[in-house]
This record gives sequence, structure tokens and C-alpha cells, in this order.
Amino acid sequence: MVADLAIYTVVHQPRRLKLPAQPIPRGASIPEIYHCIFDERMNERYFRKVAQYCYYPATRMFLDLVRKGMRLSIGFSLSLLHQAEKWDPALIELFRELVVEENVEIIGVEPYHSFLFLLDLPTFVMRMRWMADELERIFGKRPTVTDTTEMCMSVTLYDALDAAGFNGALMDGRDWVLEWRERTHLYTYSDENPYPVDIQTSRSLVGSRQSSKRLAAKSDREHGTYLLTRHLALSDDVGYRFSDRNWSNYPLFADTYADWIAHTGGDFVFLGWDFETFGEHHRVDSGIFDFMRALPEELDKRGVAFQTPSRLIEDYSKSGCAYHLPLPIYATTWAGQGNMEFFLGNDAQRTIFQLMGQVYGMAKLTENPDMLDLAIWLAQSDNLHLIQWFGRSGPEAEVSSYFTPDEWWPLGSNGIIHEQQQVYINALYAIEPYLPARLIRQARRKKGIKTTRRKGEWTAPDAGYVARHIHLT
Amino acid sequence: MIEQEGAISPENTLFVLLCFEGPDVYSTAGGLGTRVSELSEALAVQGYTTHLIFIGDPYKPSTEKRVDGHLILERWSQWVSKYYLNGVYDGEEQKLYDFNGSVPYHIYNEIVRPAVAQGKTVVIMGEDWHTAEVMCRTSDLLNWFGVRQKAIMLWNLNSLMSLHRINWGRLNYVTTITTVSKYMKHRMWGYGVNPLVIPNGIPTRHLTPVDTAAVTRLREIAQQGDPRRLFLFKIGRFDPDKRWMMAVEAVARLKYSGYPVTLFVRGGIEPHGTDVLRHAYNLGLTIQDVVAKRPNLEQCLEVMQHTGSPNIDIYNLRFFLPEEFVRTTYNAADATLANSGHEPFGLVALEVMAAEGIAVTGSTGEDYAISFENAIVTETDDPDEIVGYLLHLRRHPEEQERIRCAGRSTAEQFLWDQVIENLVSKLEFLARKQDIQLS
Repeated sequence: MVADLAIYTVVHQPRRLKLPAQPIPRGASIPEIYHCIFDERMNERYFRKVAQYCYYPATRMFLDLVRKGMRLSIGFSLSLLHQAEKWDPALIELFRELVVEENVEIIGVEPYHSFLFLLDLPTFVMRMRWMADELERIFGKRPTVTDTTEMCMSVTLYDALDAAGFNGALMDGRDWVLEWRERTHLYTYSDENPYPVDIQTSRSLVGSRQSSKRLAAKSDREHGTYLLTRHLALSDDVGYRFSDRNWSNYPLFADTYADWIAHTGGDFVFLGWDFETFGEHHRVDSGIFDFMRALPEELDKRGVAFQTPSRLIEDYSKSGCAYHLPLPIYATTWAGQGNMEFFLGNDAQRTIFQLMGQVYGMAKLTENPDMLDLAIWLAQSDNLHLIQWFGRSGPEAEVSSYFTPDEWWPLGSNGIIHEQQQVYINALYAIEPYLPARLIRQARRKKGIKTTRRKGEWTAPDAGYVARHIHLT
Repeated sequence: MIEQEGAISPENTLFVLLCFEGPDVYSTAGGLGTRVSELSEALAVQGYTTHLIFIGDPYKPSTEKRVDGHLILERWSQWVSKYYLNGVYDGEEQKLYDFNGSVPYHIYNEIVRPAVAQGKTVVIMGEDWHTAEVMCRTSDLLNWFGVRQKAIMLWNLNSLMSLHRINWGRLNYVTTITTVSKYMKHRMWGYGVNPLVIPNGIPTRHLTPVDTAAVTRLREIAQQGDPRRLFLFKIGRFDPDKRWMMAVEAVARLKYSGYPVTLFVRGGIEPHGTDVLRHAYNLGLTIQDVVAKRPNLEQCLEVMQHTGSPNIDIYNLRFFLPEEFVRTTYNAADATLANSGHEPFGLVALEVMAAEGIAVTGSTGEDYAISFENAIVTETDDPDEIVGYLLHLRRHPEEQERIRCAGRSTAEQFLWDQVIENLVSKLEFLARKQDIQLS
């Protein structure tokens, strides 16, 4: 039976798009483009609501619990932290108070909660390093274990995170990936044994000049990135089913749940939840806070100890209990059925993803960092998550539509899809004038124009008839 | 003592007018700009604090106070307008989105909230389809913040443009819909709404007598040495609704019936202008373009006098006409052809009446026009109708004088002060209906 338990929770708010799509004036400045694309008023409204019902009470609860000995790992998207910095700096202070606690480990998260890794893996590596710098700047702790977006993991993602220098990474423990393996052990995907024939490279990575822009990891680590697999069933008991009155185990109490954990076979249980589980997905009157407050004592009674992911990695890797896990080429995720079907399963999602790629490509062509930043915001996974319901029904579609802003529904299903696409199309046209070749031609033309037309002065069309003109001087 | 409780007054009420058009040259495309500029000014002169939120010139101050601070011009969407320099409707969709999205919060935060704190009632009036959505959103927002009952919301329709883009049910629920004539009221019945009629107005200055010497001089110029020559004037956008073709045909028929005519035309930049003038040319009418740079009355007369070409049928005035020249022309002309096939109100005809001119109107929104009493009302698009009526007038000069006098009396009833009185009486009714306590 397991001896240890690690709890991970991730705090995130999307940067929602402005729907219906706001038309963007040709040649608009970068702040104006942002203004037209993102609905900051709506974002602020949702942020404040979630802060009131979840972020403040849940953070205070966890603060109380970790001070009593519970261990917690927590991830923050920079998308959320930017919102908190802008609209509620006191919340950042509260988060900081929590993170600095010895029993709390900060976990890296893909900074904008984007699918950048599907568009540009090398840039993803750089951004994950930047994210670690940012979290260190904000919280004074540097993450060594990371999540991605929606807990995605694949061969390429693993190698990118390894290159980015993370000691550990989180993934969902899905059967189609784990097969016969248990989700209660530490895993790795790196090559442990030497190859029979040495690989010949044109230049040695060892001892080469370190550059912040180099993709190769500063490999002072003896081992590749370790993998912690989330316990799907036990996580979803709390994350999804806790307030479901139709669930056969409703209502769930801490002692029952602690029993389930304690009777799970393996080395440890790793649980992962949205932070918004506490007070937002499950309201305070569901009993979720009371449940969580009671859980540590119940686990203690059953001999289950709290750990952080880093401590699990340290303990189980040293004792030789880290096992090889063949990762899939196609990413796994904690959303839906555990594969990218949840994000790319319908035509509307695939069209948006295609547009994400086009916007990103166009932004790269501009070589303008602000445009690239905009394109990565637009690659936010939430923009696919929010339309999973299109053409579907069932529990997953219900989850997806729950996250779709209420303000959008008056547009109707087709209207939402159309307007969302229009946002990307508008963004494409807005980025276009920033292409270097166009900028150069514009500058030349402006220089070349000798006389400019006065603003607001109309030009009369050619009358097309015979007439004489008399001019008053 | 007259009971004042429940009365709208500058002490307890302020106005917010929402319109795409406004007083800037950039913001004026037609009669709507004139209407809101004059209405807002008239309200401010009466002492009402009046905010006019409009798509203003991007290079003018975002806020400007006039009329001793009573009139506050708020130039909206300037950040969009700077990308669209060709007037108020250039970049229309971009401006509309910005207007709809930002104006309601501004109204709530900057106008209604402080006004409510002072115990005042806010009258919010939107003009035309561009403001239909923003009125709905403003109402929703005020409702959300619990102050909807402190505002009277009116939405006024001046034209039939883009009515398919209006959510009539929603608009009718959140505002009191008004329009400018009974004709418009009847047209709007088709949309399931029954608007109140609050007519357009004219400013008092339009009743200032015109300079008789200038009138005489202009008449002489137009007659081109032939006292028998009829002098006609037509001004407006080159829009088929204005029945330019009918006017040109009438001129040609008069000419070929042995009644020479001088027609002054002042149109806009619309492409229909090319059709009109080509048609006139094909009818054998001689056309003279006249161009000038923002002249005053004297300069206008000067340039007209020095056209130098005899027997011109149509003078195409391709320059900005100062108001005093327009009014002089209304008075000097034998008739001004305001013979529109569709006219929500027909402000031009009322201005002609105010200048003691003779207006030939259509028979749609011109509620004030009674044929051969204060105007000539055409009821068909047959050019012979104009020809017949003008020849009748020519045979009865005494009727001309009577119509001119009656026209002026009619115009006096449509001064903005009178219209505001009408508006205020309706607001008091609406306040009572909404249970708004006017302090």
C-alpha cells in the first residue's frame, strides 16, 4: 500500500477573447490590437469572482494546512499571475505567503497555458526557462518540476522539458499510455544504458560556451527528467465528482477518501486538481473546504505522509524505484479522454488550431517580440477547450460549456464559432502591416509623397459630363 | 401658484445625446449632424447640462465645453477615427464596435452615477440605428447597477437606414422609441413598434430676415437678364430618394415649354450625382460648374455674377455654401425643390419656410406642409406635377406672397425651444409612467 501522497494544484485563468470579434483598424498600434482582441473587462469580472469565491478562501485554507504540516505543490500560469498583478496585487501577496512556506513546492506551468509546443518546440523550451525565471522573480523559488498545459505529455514534450532543464514533469496516468503499469510509481523516459555505438556529432556539447539562447540543457543533472503520473480516478473523485449528487459515493467524506488512498497499491499517490476546485467548481456549501481541512488528519491516521513532487523524485530515484515509461508520440492530457481529441476533436477546434498556426507564423515573420507574444496568447489552449462542446453532447461537452463565458451564449453555437474564428482572422490582418517588407515599403511611400491630402477633405468623383469650371480666387 | 412637482427642469435633469454624427466637419454627413448639434445646443442654452457623445474629429480635443459649460461635447472613438480620415462613416464597423463597447460604462461611471448622487434624473437619447445597440447595453448596465429607474431612455429614428440590424423587441423593451414625423411612425409600425412623434426643429437664427439687397442681386443674377426666367434651387445629398431626376426633368420640360429656368443645385459626393448631371446634359440642359473655397455671402454672389456665360440652365455649386447664402437663395428663388420621395422629416423645406421661401415638398415626413397654404406639396414622381404647380404660382403672384408668409408662421412653430417643450412634456409623461420622482 502507498506510503506517500503528493497533491498538486494549478491556478489558471484564461485571457478570454473579445466576442463578437472587434474589427481592428488597419495599421493599429500593438496596444490597440491587444485591446481589440482580448476582453479584459470580462477577464477582470471573472477574475474577481473566482478570487472572491476560490483564490482567497482556498489559499488561506492551504496556508493554514501547510503550516500544520501538510505538503502541497502548486503551479501558476503567468496568464493568471498577470491578471492578479493588474487587478488584485494583494492576492499575489497571499499566494507569495503560501509559496514561501517550506512545505510548499512551486511547479512550473506553460506560462500562457498555450499549445505553443505544438507549433514551435524550440521556442517552447526557451519560454519554459523564461517561465522559471519569472516564477523565481515573483515568488523567490525556482521550479525544478514542471507541468505543461493541461498536463500534456509526449515524446517531444518530454525531450523539450529535459532540454529546458527540469528535474521532473507531471503527466496524467492514463491507461492508454501506462498500459499494464501502475500510476503509483516514479517513471522516466530517458536512456539509462549506454548505446552500443557512440554517437558522432560535429561539435561537442560538453564544454561549449553557455548561452542563454542555446537550447541544449545545462546538463549538470545525472538523470533525465522524472515523471509523476497523476492518479486519474482518485483525482477526479474530488476534482469532478465531489458535488455530483448522482454519484454513488456522494457525499464523499475525508475518512472514506483517506481509506481509498491508503488502500491503493504502489509507492505513492499523486493527485492533481485545478485550484478552482475549491470554491469555484465546487462551491463552499458543497463541503469541499471542510473535506480538505479534515483530510490530513485522516491520512495521518492511516500512515500516509504528505510529500512534494521533488521529495518523491529524490526519495524514489535514490532507492532505484524509477521505472522506464515509453511515452506516446501523440500527447496525453488530463482533459477529456486523455488525448488531444478533447482539444482537436471537432472541425471548429481544428480550424482554430490552423488559425493559431497561421497567426503564429505571421507573427514570427514580423520578427517583432510583441507580435510573437500576441500570437502565443492566441495559442492559449482555452480557446480550444471552450469549444469542445461544438457538435457534441455528454459530460465532456458539459465541462467544456461550463468554461465557455456566459456572455458568449447569446451569439448561439454557430455564432461563437464564427466570431472566434473572426478574432484570429482579424489578428492576422492586424499583424500583416508589421511585416518588415511592408514596413519598409510604407516608409518609402511616405517619403515619396510630396503633398499630402488634408485630413477629412473629400475628393469629388469625376462628374463624367461636360462642364466648365470657374474658380474663385 | 402652479404646481411644479414632477416638472422636468435644468435643476433636476441632465441630457445625454448619443449619435454618430455631431457638430465637427468630420462628423457631419447629413441632416442628423445638424439635428443633434442644434438640439444639444438648444438644450444647453435652456440651462440643461447636456452631453453630446459622437464620433468626433480625431484631432480635436476629446472633450470640449460650450455654452458656459452646459454643453459638453465628447468626441468618441478618436483612436479609431485617426485611422479613418474620410469622415464619420469611414471605418463605420470599427467605430460602431468601439462605441457599443465603451459608451455604456462611460455613461454609467461618469454621468449617471454622479447625477444620481446629486438626485438628478438623466435623459439618454440615442439617434438612429448606430445607437440602438448602445442604448440596450446602457439600459442593461444601469439596470445591473440598480439605477435604471433614474434614467429616461429615448431612442429616436431619423432615417430608414440599416433597420434590419436593430433588435426591435429588445430596443422597444428598454427604451421609449420616438421618431420625427407621423410618416415615420407609420413606417415603423411594420417593425412592431409604435413610436412617439417628436418633430425636428430649427434654430431661432433661421428666422432672422434675409438681406433683401442680396436677395434682389441674386435674383437678378439667376434671371440672367430675362425677368421671365424661373429661379429654382435644389439642395441635398445626391440620393434617388431626393428625386433629383424628377427635378431635372421638370426643368427641361419648363424650358422646352417656353419657360426658361435657372436651377442652382448643391449635391454631395454621392455617385448618383453623376447620373443626375449626365441625365440633365442628355436632356439638353446647359450646366455650369461653380467652384470656390469656403466663400462668404458676398463672395458667393460675386462668383455667381461672374460666371459670364449666358443661358445657363443649371449651376452646379461645387463648394461649401455658407448658411446665409443658402437662406438668401431660399428667399430669392421662385421655389426650392425639396420634392423627396422619402423624407423622414424634411428639414430643408422647413428652413425654406423660415427664410420666407417657397418649398416644393414631397408628401412623406413633411407633416407641417399644407399644399398651397404654406408650401407646394407634390404627391407623385411625375415631373409635370412640379411644372403644373410652378406655372400655377406664376399665374397667381398673390398666392406666392401668401405662401411665403404662412410658411414663415409655420416655421416659427418648429423652433427648437418649441420642440424641447414638446419633448419635455413627453418626458414628464414617461417619468410618471416609470415612477421616476423628479425632485
